Amino acid sequence: MAPKFNKHHGGWIILGTLVLAALFTVLPLPEWLEAYRPEWVALVVIYWVMALPDRIGLFTAWIMGFFMDVLEGSLLGLNALALALVAYLALSLYQRMRMFTAIQQSSTILILVGIHQLLSFWVLTANSQNTAPNLIFMISALSSAIVWPFVFLGLRYIRRTFKVV
Amino acid sequence: MIMMLADSRFSYLSQVRFYASYLVTPLHWLADSPRTISDSVNTNLQSRSYLIAENQRLKQQLLQQQFELQKLEHLKAENIRLNDLLNASSIVDERVVQAQLTGESPDPFTKRVLINKGSMHDVYIGQPVIDAFGLMGQIVDVEPYASWVLLITDPQHSTPVQINRNGNRAIASGTQDSLQRLVLNNISDTFDVVEGDVLVTSGFGGRFPAGYPVGVVSSVVHDPGEPFASVTVEPTAQLERSRNVLLLFK
Repeated sequence: MAPKFNKHHGGWIILGTLVLAALFTVLPLPEWLEAYRPEWVALVVIYWVMALPDRIGLFTAWIMGFFMDVLEGSLLGLNALALALVAYLALSLYQRMRMFTAIQQSSTILILVGIHQLLSFWVLTANSQNTAPNLIFMISALSSAIVWPFVFLGLRYIRRTFKVV
Repeated sequence: MIMMLADSRFSYLSQVRFYASYLVTPLHWLADSPRTISDSVNTNLQSRSYLIAENQRLKQQLLQQQFELQKLEHLKAENIRLNDLLNASSIVDERVVQAQLTGESPDPFTKRVLINKGSMHDVYIGQPVIDAFGLMGQIVDVEPYASWVLLITDPQHSTPVQINRNGNRAIASGTQDSLQRLVLNNISDTFDVVEGDVLVTSGFGGRFPAGYPVGVVSSVVHDPGEPFASVTVEPTAQLERSRNVLLLFK
């Protein structure tokens, strides 16, 4: 039997989860809940970087961020840069993160998404488009850390069921 | 980073965004679909008696408004005549196209909404958007089948207004700390404005046509320690509730 060169499969599953995360990001929420919306796309990108670091990396994160910019109508490249940075950090941390307990993973996520938020708002401030009245935009880092264990378990289940490698 | 700079300072990338949005617009439709479906289910399951009552009510309203329109026709003609006397040019009639809200910006610190009309329907950047009650905002970004509306309560938006009672002019801006209200900038303490004054667009700046209601003054505070009075305005348009909006074409 000829050796199989193409060892990757399940690309559609990865794309599907990313699209679902993007959908969750633009789903209408009540006004008071909006600031608490977790950064779904960042979470999903971090998960796939952790699970398949040889496959999902800066490029995927950047492209995904680019489409998020178009989706949200924000400054083109804003999400792209922030997501690429998060993917880079996750790439350098993934071996440790795999060993972590749920609490430790969640705190790492808190920091990663916090960096994502800070970077986005720094860029917006530099471009004088920052309209946040205070540091409340950091709340979504906290909510991301809280939902992370469920995102992690859900995506791991999906990865195992569909044998994404 | 270069890309962000290019996007914020120049317009080279608007084409890229335009074509990329072909891929992305379906996601907005999908995100909006629960509302669309529940709307259509609601319409289909309305009871007969409710529909009869609604029909009655709408007929009443139509009659009332037609009565007011009769007077309006006369006033419009008179207005044009008077403007002619003054040698001023003024456009009284504007063409409107109806659009529906399909999404909201996920950023909690801005006030931007998405509508379901885009460049395929000749929407252009800077176009005024109103609802049945007053001015809502203007178009800031056009995609093929959708466009983004910056609402008048966004902190980055300012509207040139005029007090209906006495014609005094001012600038109404959105604020960072409340995304539901407007404030009047640089109002001196001697400026004639009182609670309950109706503000309409002044037509200055050439962006919004004159005469559309913007808001009602909800409070006027004169603080001797401050150089200017602080005037807050409640927008007349139902910015949070309107689903059907109108695009004004010049």
